[in-house]
Amino acid sequence: MQQGNLTALSITIFIILTVVLIGFLAGRDKATRSSVEEWSVGGRRFGGLLVWFLVGADLYTAYTFLGLTSTAYTAGSLAFFAIPYSVLAYFISYFFLPKLWKVANEHKLTTLADYARERFDSKLLSSLIAIVGVLMLIPYICLQLSGIQDTLQVAGTGFINVKVVVITSFLLVALYTFFSGIKGPTYTAIIKDVLVWAIMLFMVVSLPIMHFGGWNPMVDKIVNEAPQLLTIPTEGPKGIPWFITAAFVSSLALFMWAHAATGVFTAKSADAIRKNALFLPLYNIVLILVVFLGFIAFLVLPNGTDPRFALLALIQTSYGGIGQGLAYSTIALASLIPCSIMAIGASNLFANNIYRDLINPKVKGAKLTMITRGMVFVVIGLALLFGLVFPQALVSLQLLGVSGMVQIFPAIVISLFWRNQSREATIIGLLVGLAVTFTVYSTGTSLGIYEGFWGLMANFAAVAVLNPLFVKKAKSSTNAVKNYLFEEKAKKVDVLRKGA
Amino acid sequence: MKKLLMILFISAPFIAQLVVLPFANRIDPIVLGLPFLQFWLFLWIVLTPLFTFGIYLLQKSQGGLD
Repeated sequence: MQQGNLTALSITIFIILTVVLIGFLAGRDKATRSSVEEWSVGGRRFGGLLVWFLVGADLYTAYTFLGLTSTAYTAGSLAFFAIPYSVLAYFISYFFLPKLWKVANEHKLTTLADYARERFDSKLLSSLIAIVGVLMLIPYICLQLSGIQDTLQVAGTGFINVKVVVITSFLLVALYTFFSGIKGPTYTAIIKDVLVWAIMLFMVVSLPIMHFGGWNPMVDKIVNEAPQLLTIPTEGPKGIPWFITAAFVSSLALFMWAHAATGVFTAKSADAIRKNALFLPLYNIVLILVVFLGFIAFLVLPNGTDPRFALLALIQTSYGGIGQGLAYSTIALASLIPCSIMAIGASNLFANNIYRDLINPKVKGAKLTMITRGMVFVVIGLALLFGLVFPQALVSLQLLGVSGMVQIFPAIVISLFWRNQSREATIIGLLVGLAVTFTVYSTGTSLGIYEGFWGLMANFAAVAVLNPLFVKKAKSSTNAVKNYLFEEKAKKVDVLRKGA
Repeated sequence: MKKLLMILFISAPFIAQLVVLPFANRIDPIVLGLPFLQFWLFLWIVLTPLFTFGIYLLQKSQGGLD
């Protein structure tokens, strides 16, 4: 690889260190780590705007930017599946997140698995959900890791030992996460989001002018020279059916991720979440533009450029120096900050739903808080191990992350609305969904449809067919969460009627 | 009437972005400097929040929010 760029590298490292410092400062107040609820969901005190920044920071990661441009570079408009996916994800979330938040708030829950345990009285289900969550999240953290790694590699070749810097920066992030909890990534998320918007808009305005003399000449050039990029392929292994099912399944899966759920639980009211669902789609304007950056890379970069480096190479050839430094630091932050939130989500699952629910049910209070916080190092350590030492080991888990996560949708979302959904059918459905997803993937029999779609259909079918067998018990049993979800409302209506 | 509007608001984003999508999968016409497929996706980035807001208002007027 050619020599890096010292100016770009210095700016990137300077900005990373500043952000790490802010991450530590965010946790000056000891209260930030006084309980699991404070540390992981900020005591549920965040207003709409803060949640917007946090969830935005959470979901638009380095992998989003690098992965989408490289998909656009190699597969053209297939990359646009990310647009309907995230637009619909927020739309769907509008209908269930406020309800989920209210249950979590009422019963002091901090993870989705907590909710499933209370809703179904099942530690088996909660630990299954936690295992799926952690198993899918660690490879996802590895992807973020490769984001910062690639950035430093392009900018820093010849100046630094990339692996050492990557490990150092991740350990720093683990430390400030341990120290400040969710407050750390929240404040730094604001910096990251502002930088993302500024840099992406700057690139989208300046790159077409630099290379083609403006936006319209650029579009003309793509239409004439590479029209295949502009439409979704109608044949081949990934065409329109893949696009539609991938967008749909991913939109159901988005808030099943532990880090997304963590972000949502920080909200101070159900209304803050509704507003968030209203404004989050606007974030996708950035995404459309990012895909176009991949098209620009296709026209500008020499043939045979590694697609993985498409965006980074485009930035290096177009700007160099300061511009490159700012863009690279944005990508580096988009890699580090989501990792911090992901680590909180995964640690929470680990400590609350694997350690406590399965191994040591008596643990609570200060000890549980300490274990949750300490898990950050385990999670980031595992991600570093797999990301740097065995980068190939988790490839299929990375590809199947979304398809795997979506399988908890019936347990988490359907159960908010369907009183008689039984524990047994839900657990079997989850297992069937996972099994079908992995089978379809490993035997290559997806028939041009997104793997998770087959899994989810099997999951739904299993729940629908098996539920009648167990419905009697589900009908007669009740608990605090079911009561809150289904009975209290009925009572309220009763009271209102009597009052009138 | 309100119920009909609600159904429309809820189903439109899905229909437009999943069902109608194959028909929007084309380059011409170019609208606002975007080839048609990209324009279509962009349009729904803007329209979906508006529909969501419509649903929010409807729910509020029915007292369905707390």
